[in-house]
Amino acid sequence: MAKQVVLLVGTKKGLYTVRSDAERKKWTVDGPHEAPAPIHHATYDPRDGSMYAAINSTWGGSRIQYSRDLGKTWQTSKNPAFPEGSDRTFFQTWHIEPGHVKTPNIVWAGTEPAALWKSEDRGETWQLNKALDDQPSRAKWVPGFGGMGLHSIAIDADDPKKMQVGISVGGVYTSTDGGATWAQDNAQTGGKEDRPDVFYCIHKLLAHPAVSGVRFMRVHVDVFWREPGETAWRNRTEGLPSNFGFAAAMHPRDRSVAYCIPLDDTKRTASPPGIGVYSTNDRGATWTRNDKGLPPGAALESVREGMDTDLLDPLGVYFGTANGDVWASRDEGKSWQPAVQYLPYVTSVHAATIDM
Amino acid sequence: MRVLLHGAYRGFAGGARAVTLDAATLHEALEALVRAHPSLAERLRDEHGRLRAHLSLFVNEEDARFLGGEDAALADGDIVHVIPALSGG
Repeated sequence: MAKQVVLLVGTKKGLYTVRSDAERKKWTVDGPHEAPAPIHHATYDPRDGSMYAAINSTWGGSRIQYSRDLGKTWQTSKNPAFPEGSDRTFFQTWHIEPGHVKTPNIVWAGTEPAALWKSEDRGETWQLNKALDDQPSRAKWVPGFGGMGLHSIAIDADDPKKMQVGISVGGVYTSTDGGATWAQDNAQTGGKEDRPDVFYCIHKLLAHPAVSGVRFMRVHVDVFWREPGETAWRNRTEGLPSNFGFAAAMHPRDRSVAYCIPLDDTKRTASPPGIGVYSTNDRGATWTRNDKGLPPGAALESVREGMDTDLLDPLGVYFGTANGDVWASRDEGKSWQPAVQYLPYVTSVHAATIDM
Repeated sequence: MRVLLHGAYRGFAGGARAVTLDAATLHEALEALVRAHPSLAERLRDEHGRLRAHLSLFVNEEDARFLGGEDAALADGDIVHVIPALSGG
């Protein structure tokens, strides 16, 4: 079978699928699906080939859809639903995370209002994670600029019971028992200041997919790294042009490599000298700017779910922009070409590597 | 009486355009509509039973909000319109 890369591109006006063969030189575009609904996130589940999409529609309310035939047809999940008597109402889905390979039917979702949901039937129904919901510190969570959502679900490479979630604005919570109990997990080293735990506005928290215990975290202010066995987040911002940004990705094989796109913390577009993808090959100790092929000086913006990698060798790295473009690198992030342009505002990019 | 589905609500009901049913009030009509097309349940109401925003309900040519909302009385021959409200940009 031949490898194919399928980019699931969520935009403010529907979901697009952008496909290429393993060469990743020519791309074809299908879509939009469900326009004009904003698609906050879409993902592919390599365990069974399912696709999931967060359809955050005004008409008919937000909903999660799943596809079992690579996007040809979609079905609608039963909505996440806060229990009777709750003062909260499901508003929209921020992130959908396929579970660990050892838990084949489990899928996770993070929503606004900030809550964690678990599906045990491959996304058909969703149950509230009450243990996180019952955290006393939840009373201190506050909305970020984009709302108050749970957007990061980081599942350990080896042990599906070890996981973290990231909340804007509520910090990091860690579970070592599959979500039965949670503990705040915001200790840092090397930071410039201490902040109360819940006021860490997490922008993206990633678990390395192959190496247990390795984490990369993009916070509103600063980026952090964690090694196996560590219990604090190590500040790794030095070398970046700013301490703000959203988009982040980890190399799926090299446990020391990660990518991010720094933004100016006041303008919220690419930091001077313009759009660039910064990579580290030493766990954030140093950063290298990669902008070959990108428009010089462009004040582009890439948001929280805007970056991902494929699984090919050399690695493909992708990011979307508010201008409606998706940029692709097929040399591990060193140089860039547009995969597709002139879409609506891109809110998420997920790269699926599929045997076809 | 009949319920006519417009725009996105046809898609939510698998392409159905109209449902003929018996109902004395708008609330009863919506309940019967959901029995006929269960996929509409979560598209019409949130988990607490509240009608969703961006949903307009008309009885014949009158906005149901001015007829008592879901208590609006219906009679034989009435037509209820389920319409995605103009919104967005």
